[in-house]
Amino acid sequence: MNNYAWLIRREIWERRAIWLVPAVVSAVLILLALFGRTQFISDVPMESPYVGKVYLGFIGGLFLTVMMLYSTLYLLDCLYDDRRDRSVLFWKSLPISDTDTVLSKLLVALIAIPLVSFVAADVTSLIVAFIVSIRARSMVGGALWEGGTWLQMQGLWMYVIVTAAIWYLPVAGWCLMVSAWVKRAPMLWSVLPLLVIYLIERFFLGTHYLAEVLGHRLGGYAQAAFHGSWKVNDVTTTAWQFMDIRGFFGNPATWIGLVVGAAMIVATIQMRMRRTEI
Amino acid sequence: MAPLIEARNLSKKYGSHVALDNANLSVEAGRIVGLIGPNGAGKTSALRAMLGLTTYEGELRVLGREPFRERTALMKEACFIADVAVLPSWLRVDQAVDFVAGVHPRFRRERAMDFLSKAQIGGKRRMRELSKGMKTQVHLALTMAIDAKLLVLDEPTLGLDILARRSFYDALVNDYMDETRTIVITTHQVEEVENLLTDAIFIDKGRIVLDSSLDDIAQRYCAVSVTADRLEAARALKPFYERHVLGKTVLYFEGQERGHLSEFGELHTPTIADLFVAKLSRGAS
Repeated sequence: MNNYAWLIRREIWERRAIWLVPAVVSAVLILLALFGRTQFISDVPMESPYVGKVYLGFIGGLFLTVMMLYSTLYLLDCLYDDRRDRSVLFWKSLPISDTDTVLSKLLVALIAIPLVSFVAADVTSLIVAFIVSIRARSMVGGALWEGGTWLQMQGLWMYVIVTAAIWYLPVAGWCLMVSAWVKRAPMLWSVLPLLVIYLIERFFLGTHYLAEVLGHRLGGYAQAAFHGSWKVNDVTTTAWQFMDIRGFFGNPATWIGLVVGAAMIVATIQMRMRRTEI
Repeated sequence: MAPLIEARNLSKKYGSHVALDNANLSVEAGRIVGLIGPNGAGKTSALRAMLGLTTYEGELRVLGREPFRERTALMKEACFIADVAVLPSWLRVDQAVDFVAGVHPRFRRERAMDFLSKAQIGGKRRMRELSKGMKTQVHLALTMAIDAKLLVLDEPTLGLDILARRSFYDALVNDYMDETRTIVITTHQVEEVENLLTDAIFIDKGRIVLDSSLDDIAQRYCAVSVTADRLEAARALKPFYERHVLGKTVLYFEGQERGHLSEFGELHTPTIADLFVAKLSRGAS
């Protein structure tokens, strides 16, 4: 366990973007709130009961999107970069197993990066709401607490972090595998084989299996984890009702993904054991 | 006592390229062993196999362990410096010390700090800000603070200037080496490590050409400077290598009695570098 604490600390030392990226998003939003036009904010009917929901949903969604992009880039780079600069030879001279190394990177991508983004989103939403409330004399600050919206948002974030980590495990596993394998251009290699299979299927076999599977995995998360869409104008549905916990864990696709993802991670560890520098 | 490193029929292939071809070698505890060979001879492959960084065929035991399967356990008792400058550029000196202290049970922080302060390297500096020589000092500080039984060095001074090279080897011999430790060092600059070594292993084209202590080498091998008139008589004793130097011919003998050879001219014990050239040239002819 102690090793994991050090390995994760190591990632945070190396990848300052883990906190810099959300910090920049946060700074941009705060600057916009400070110096942007207040017109747009005052146009929103503040007395409407769903304003808090919309506001928190917007900020959360923004951080979530940025976080997912960064996590993907991180996964593609993390087992490639140290082979390229040969520092893998230093890390491998220490008594840390390749399993621990690979799992620590996975933990960083699926748990640490999302948690940092979550905290950043929380802090930012409060600061921006505070600034906007004063500047535009709006009630957005107060609306956050309406009907427990704020609390619901915290629960929603936690739910998203856990379920997205499970749902996207095969995607993360694929990225790690590419990162541990390729000699150059991990980003290109993460797409290229899939594109080739897709084209072969399309032009020679006339099928679309891969596209279907990929589309379902990449685009199907919201459908798998939630009941329909979150009706923002319906105050009676809470975030708790929105989460489809039973549906998510009862879905075979969740478990198939988990197994496929785990297999890819086992493969990644095996590659990591055999591949040193490029 | 079982040898610290023992390889039997160790082979490694990369596709059709044979990097190690049934190599046999053994390293006893308390020795400083030079693994010497030309570029591409299989030195690095041999070290990679010993350190558990690559798969291999044949039998290999390092500190009684199978390196590839048990790398993590092995690295608690063995450490290595592979080349120089493999410390990641973003890493700060104090972070490097903290990390190794955190994950290595045999690391003694005070030793590392002591060495670093002697080398006058500040903790807040990143590796990318340090010269190659200083980076090597940092790596050495980290490595020497680990109470390891085996230290493996792969071309440790490549790219360093002569001052840095000298201080590297001085630190190694004076501050690190004692009878409980064993060092395996690869280099193609034989002259530089010659007076450090207790043993030499020559490797060429993936095969072990020689595996011997320096004492044995001094007894077994002999070079004689022979003048032209005695050359034919000396040749009858079957030297394994000849070299022409300043009008004389130096003949290299293995296992010949010195008293017998001294009739032909001046005797001397070949240097490791000489012997290396002699051995490998024979292989080539």
